[in-house]
Amino acid sequence: MTAETFQLLAAGLCMGLGAIGPGIGIGILAAGALQAIGRNPDARGPIFTNMIITVALAEAVAIYALVIAIIILFVAG
Amino acid sequence: MAKKRILGCSFPVLIGITVVLLLLMLFGIITGPIGQNLAEQFPALAPIANLGPDWLHVEKPEPVLSPGVITRIGGFPITNTMITAWITIIILVVVSFLAFRKPKIVPSGLQKVMEFIYGALLDFCNSVAGETNGRRFFPFVATIFLFVITNAWLGLLPFYGDALWIIGEDGHHLPLLRAANTDINVPLALAIFAWVSIETFGLRANGFLPYMKKFLNFKRLGAGLVNLFKGKIKTAFGDIIFGVIDAFVGILEGVSEIIRLVSFTFRLFGNMTAGEVLILVVAFLAPLILGSVIYGMELFFGFLQALIFGGLTLVWMNMAIEKHGDEQH
Repeated sequence: MTAETFQLLAAGLCMGLGAIGPGIGIGILAAGALQAIGRNPDARGPIFTNMIITVALAEAVAIYALVIAIIILFVAG
Repeated sequence: MAKKRILGCSFPVLIGITVVLLLLMLFGIITGPIGQNLAEQFPALAPIANLGPDWLHVEKPEPVLSPGVITRIGGFPITNTMITAWITIIILVVVSFLAFRKPKIVPSGLQKVMEFIYGALLDFCNSVAGETNGRRFFPFVATIFLFVITNAWLGLLPFYGDALWIIGEDGHHLPLLRAANTDINVPLALAIFAWVSIETFGLRANGFLPYMKKFLNFKRLGAGLVNLFKGKIKTAFGDIIFGVIDAFVGILEGVSEIIRLVSFTFRLFGNMTAGEVLILVVAFLAPLILGSVIYGMELFFGFLQALIFGGLTLVWMNMAIEKHGDEQH
């Protein structure tokens, strides 16, 4: 196993494992938002806005993993 | 009764357009690099895979993370993202100047568009922070929002990439213009600006010592130690334990304040750079059609990231100026 193999493996694992958490988190957030809309269809606007903001916060964690994967692939080694 | 029309076209026309687009996409995929690779393994595909004309072949894109230095003026490096950021600033200033040169009570033209944008942002600030505070936070939030969204959307223009290249400082080809948000210095500068603004608002509204008390919360611990010396062991015990927990939570909040710099920077930088790399790679692998879908996604993400940056700054400014007694713990 050469160093280049490890580099590719590291980038793949980094992004793959790093996307599990935010994926589940965004699913839970969306479930809560959809339930809230179902209970109170008149409040669709504020619920949707708040959901988008919190989804972007959760997505930022996946973006951190993506940045590290890109750095491993193209900058390091 | 009129013929039923979907998207303005009748049904057979829509089917025809969809079939043509699908064929174009397949043609692009097969004659592109994926097709070339497959043709090496299944030689039967070779005649189709070589159908594409020579000038449609591009070389593999290599994304670069750091901005390219073009020249130096007196020891100060000028990068391509610096040129782009200044283009954004000039565009914003010129548009605002032209829109409000002769303001009318009933606006029209450019003034109408700018008033719509400013009004929407002001409503957003007021809805989160209330009337008086919303007006105070508006310049910071609106500046961040407009700068980020103009950077992001200008970066999608066709000549903001390797199409316009120049020989850089170390002799390599560099894009002359590159989306300013993909250089980590620009999100870092915005994050520092937002963070300093948030802290200034908090310190000015609460005073220096009460604001620091939020992070260095030793009150309960001190009361517990005083009780220990006075002899009330039981209350002292409970106070000391909760005092340690309070102090720890305070330090954790202080660390999370500082981590905001990092998270602001990397959220914006990661989204914009990943978008740029994604467009490059998709346009390379499956040219001609699939790139348009990714392009639309990039438009939406540019707007969303601007909204997130401005919205989070607004929310944290609002949380920073609340008085110590009004917290809803």
